[in-house]
Amino acid sequence: MAAPLELSCWGGGWGLPSVHSESLVVMAYAKFSGAPLKVNVIDNTWRGSRGDVPILTTEDNIVSQPAKILNFLRKQKYNADYELSAKQGADTLAYIALLEEKLLPAVLHTFWVESDNYFTVTKPWFASQIPFPLSLILPGRMSRGALNRILLTRGQPPLYHLREVEAQIYRDAKECLNLLSNRLGTSQFFFGNTPSTLDAYVFGFLAPLYKVRFPKIQLQEHLKQLSNLCRFCDDILSSYFRISLGGLSPAGQDTVDANLQKLTQLVNKESNLIEKMDDNLRQSPQLPPRKLPTLKLTPAEEENNSFQRLSP
Amino acid sequence: MSLVAEAFVSQIAAAEPWPENATLYQQLKGEQILLSDNAASLAVQAFLQMCNLPIKVVCRANAEYMSPSGKVPFIHVGNQVVSELGPIVQFVKAKGHSLSDGLDEVQKAEMKAYMELVNNMLLTAELYLQWCDEATVGEITHARYGSPYPWPLNHILAYQKQWEVKRKMKAIGWGKKTLDQVLEDVDQCCQALSQRLGTQPYFFNKQPTELDALVFGHLYTILTTQLTNDELSEKVKNYSNLLAFCRRIEQHYFEDRGKGRLS
Repeated sequence: MAAPLELSCWGGGWGLPSVHSESLVVMAYAKFSGAPLKVNVIDNTWRGSRGDVPILTTEDNIVSQPAKILNFLRKQKYNADYELSAKQGADTLAYIALLEEKLLPAVLHTFWVESDNYFTVTKPWFASQIPFPLSLILPGRMSRGALNRILLTRGQPPLYHLREVEAQIYRDAKECLNLLSNRLGTSQFFFGNTPSTLDAYVFGFLAPLYKVRFPKIQLQEHLKQLSNLCRFCDDILSSYFRISLGGLSPAGQDTVDANLQKLTQLVNKESNLIEKMDDNLRQSPQLPPRKLPTLKLTPAEEENNSFQRLSP
Repeated sequence: MSLVAEAFVSQIAAAEPWPENATLYQQLKGEQILLSDNAASLAVQAFLQMCNLPIKVVCRANAEYMSPSGKVPFIHVGNQVVSELGPIVQFVKAKGHSLSDGLDEVQKAEMKAYMELVNNMLLTAELYLQWCDEATVGEITHARYGSPYPWPLNHILAYQKQWEVKRKMKAIGWGKKTLDQVLEDVDQCCQALSQRLGTQPYFFNKQPTELDALVFGHLYTILTTQLTNDELSEKVKNYSNLLAFCRRIEQHYFEDRGKGRLS
């Protein structure tokens, strides 16, 4: 594949390569299928479009939605579903539909509609990634788009109240998470030992929910109780995105090693010193034993003398 | 409905057995009902047949407005009114009849996933075809939707509904799709269903479940409804096991029970 593939998407934070679900899906799929992607993070300059992110650009094409981007990559022979059977391929489509219908409204609500979360976390983060005047407009527009989507798909015409649907969408999302957890069971990925499109989608939707720190976290709490899903996200992060999770970055590890080395050296020096002192003591000229005054003795003295000699 | 109200309703539902005079309301069959509504109504009828619960189908022009959620079909059982397949399945379950009890957790997850696939792709494609494709809208939908009402109400209602559906399409990202892309999605969906069904009689081998009812409702309606062009039904006809599946359910649950052929 000679032409370079460039992906422009939202940047990362909280240990994730990207905070935006759809961008994360594409990045994960690219890692799984081995596609060489050059990732351009949307930043504070005026370059690049921010409209329909994520966007894949090659020499002659511009492809915009995650489903289309994945299709494009598959046509370029970067296929992560190579080993799946026909039934598993069908299951993939079905589970993706389940994610979009049941989990996505609640994820959108948690990120964009719930006012505590939106004003303290989401809006500042997105606003910091966009240059000045747009940072006032774009997050608001994304929030309104999310609210619209939730209401139009779940609400009841003609008045569309949010209250009625909130409880329902969170209940649906929790049920969806339970279903995913049941389906994953104890295996490493959804279909055997190699990751596929479904793993990319599940990771893309779950990882931001799992990692981003929100004030209102009922869905996150529920997710954290499903330990196999959390383990699934952590596995993918550590094996495919090389982000260590022990809390120590590689640089930190080095300083610890250096300290350990120094401590060992000191201890060694101490023990060397002690040994030397010991040696010195042993080898230093010992004082001769104190001579006891010899007594002038009778011929029986010889025996006494011998006795004397024996005494130390 | 709020969660408390729903719990209350299922408590009450569990208390009474299924009455003889349960009725299902839908729009007028001959002149008014549209493809997507017909599919939904047929799915519910098939489900109730599979559970062996008697139901009488009543056609009313204002069925959509009578329904508690604005969607048809809805059933009137005892003194409760429940609309749409999902809540109806739960309501029936509260009364003690269920088709999916024999499935284990993983199979239940699969069943729910496939039902969402049908709702997400097939139903949305039907809605798109009915309301966003200009040819169909002009020739069929507008005329049918407003038919029970006098002028100018028929036009106003039809335009209002079209505007609503177009808003929804735009919100979920289908606004910019062309008809060909929509038909391709339908094809993908049918391929997935066909691969999942394989050579089995029903989706979960021997016994039908609500998934079978839903798929039957949609596919049968697509196959038997005449639209401006036949492309939609052609996509379904490509998969012979789906055709056999529809025929099997029609024979078993509709003809044998003496209800006669479905029109």
